Parts: sequence; structure tokens; C-alpha cells
Amino acid sequence: MFLINCPYCGERDQSEFSAGGEAHIVRPKQPTELSDDQWAEYLFMRKNIKGVQFERWNHSHGCRKWFNMVRDTSNDKIHAIYKMGEKPPIK
Amino acid sequence: MLNYNSTIIEAKEYSDIKISEVEPTLKINLRGKNRDFVTKIGKELSIILPTDPNTSSGNKELNLLWLSPDEWLIYSNDKNNLETINSSEDKLFNDISKTKLGSVTNVTDHWIMINLKGPKIFDMLSAGCPFNFNKFKYSKGAVTQTLLNHVDVIIHNKDINNLNLFVRRSFSNHLWLWMNDSARFV
Repeated sequence: MFLINCPYCGERDQSEFSAGGEAHIVRPKQPTELSDDQWAEYLFMRKNIKGVQFERWNHSHGCRKWFNMVRDTSNDKIHAIYKMGEKPPIK
Repeated sequence: MLNYNSTIIEAKEYSDIKISEVEPTLKINLRGKNRDFVTKIGKELSIILPTDPNTSSGNKELNLLWLSPDEWLIYSNDKNNLETINSSEDKLFNDISKTKLGSVTNVTDHWIMINLKGPKIFDMLSAGCPFNFNKFKYSKGAVTQTLLNHVDVIIHNKDINNLNLFVRRSFSNHLWLWMNDSARFV
């Protein structure tokens, strides 16, 4: 259990949020020209690394807004939180 | 057909907590983003739309709660009859939804309003809620959406030790029983 600072509502318990997977995955511009392998790569393949990861989260039991989060998956330390459409503050 | 029949009938009183249902009350969900929408709502209800997170505004009859950057909830303090509820909805719907400024949805039958009073209500809520009430307790008009015993609720801090809690109709009976159960132990 940990606290997440929602960019709209402020600090709330993790149980109010739901994780939405890896962030910043760009949809291919011409899906029809891709091979099945390339399409599957975009659709299903996620990094799932141990360490600092860029993720999407949703405050599903609060304001129901999506936002991005930089989280260390090994110890749940949150490095940054930023709104959708914004550039990540750290690399 | 909207269902206004309530599942909860009697009000309950414990040594430091009083729980009662206030139904039917007018409840309308508002969604909109642009500035015209905000000014139109202000004129329509003569209440300023709260834009700060977790706050509310209101007058004698109505309250406006902030739910999200583009979502608000209107509710009435007192019980209403069906005609008043429908006419208030129609007026807002014609002025806002039809002119495409934003969206107006009547959620009168969707939420159940439960009034909690007494010095120990926050102890009772904390038994099944991850929200930190330390600051919330003393800020009049504060609003939060959180989980109470795994059920989604909206909590409006009306006055000191007097709050209104909104719960979805299908969960209301379950939450009512849970609240009565935990009220006996605080």
C-alpha cells in the first residue's frame, strides 16, 4: 500500500486507483501496412522492467481522470506524476 | 421509469452518531469544459461553479459539488417532490444540453443521500475508508470521492460534524447496514 498524489484531487490511497499499463506507446500511423508481427508488437508487447517505469494510472474511485506516473517497480517509489499529454519531467 | 422507492426506511440513532436517509432529493450531474458553460451555470442557479478541487458552493436550496475538473453534482438540501425535480432538470437541460454547452443528467434515482450527524461520525467512517479525514473534518464545504467499505461514495462536509454521503442505489442498503453495524462499536 502506498499513497499516490493525484494531479487533480491530491494525495489519496493507492486502493482508489487502477493501473493502466505502460505509458507513451505510440500507435502506428498506417496499421494496414504493418505485418502481423509488427502489429502484435505494438498491441501486446510491454517492457515490464524491474526498475523505473513510465505508467498510466486512473483515479477510478475519485475524479476518474487518467494521468502518467514514473514509478520504480522494485520498491514502489514514485519519481514523478504528470497529466496526460504532458512530457515526462525526467528521462 | 425512474425508481424513487427507497430501501431504507427508518432513521437510526446511536450515542454519538445519527444516521438518516434524505430522499427523494434533486440530484443533477453536470459536465462541461468551456467558459460559457461556467458562466451559464452561474447565471442559471445563481451559484458560482466551484473550480478548486475538493470544494463546493451553494445557497439555501442547492449545493454544487466539485467531482472532477469537468464534472459537478447539484443537489438540494431539502426533500423535493417529483414535479420540482423534473422541472428543474428540464430547465437546465434546455439551456445547457440543447445549446451544446455541456451535459445535464438527472441522477436523482442513481444516488441515495444519507445524512450523518454527531461527534463520532469520522471515527465510524475511518473504520472502512482509506481517506485521511484530519483536515477534511474542519473544512466546511469540503468534498471527497472515496471508498467506504469498498463502495464508491461522495462525501460532502456540510457543517461541523454534519455530513451528507452519496451512495449508489444498489449499494445503499448494504452500506446502510454496514454503517449501522460499525456505529455500534465507536
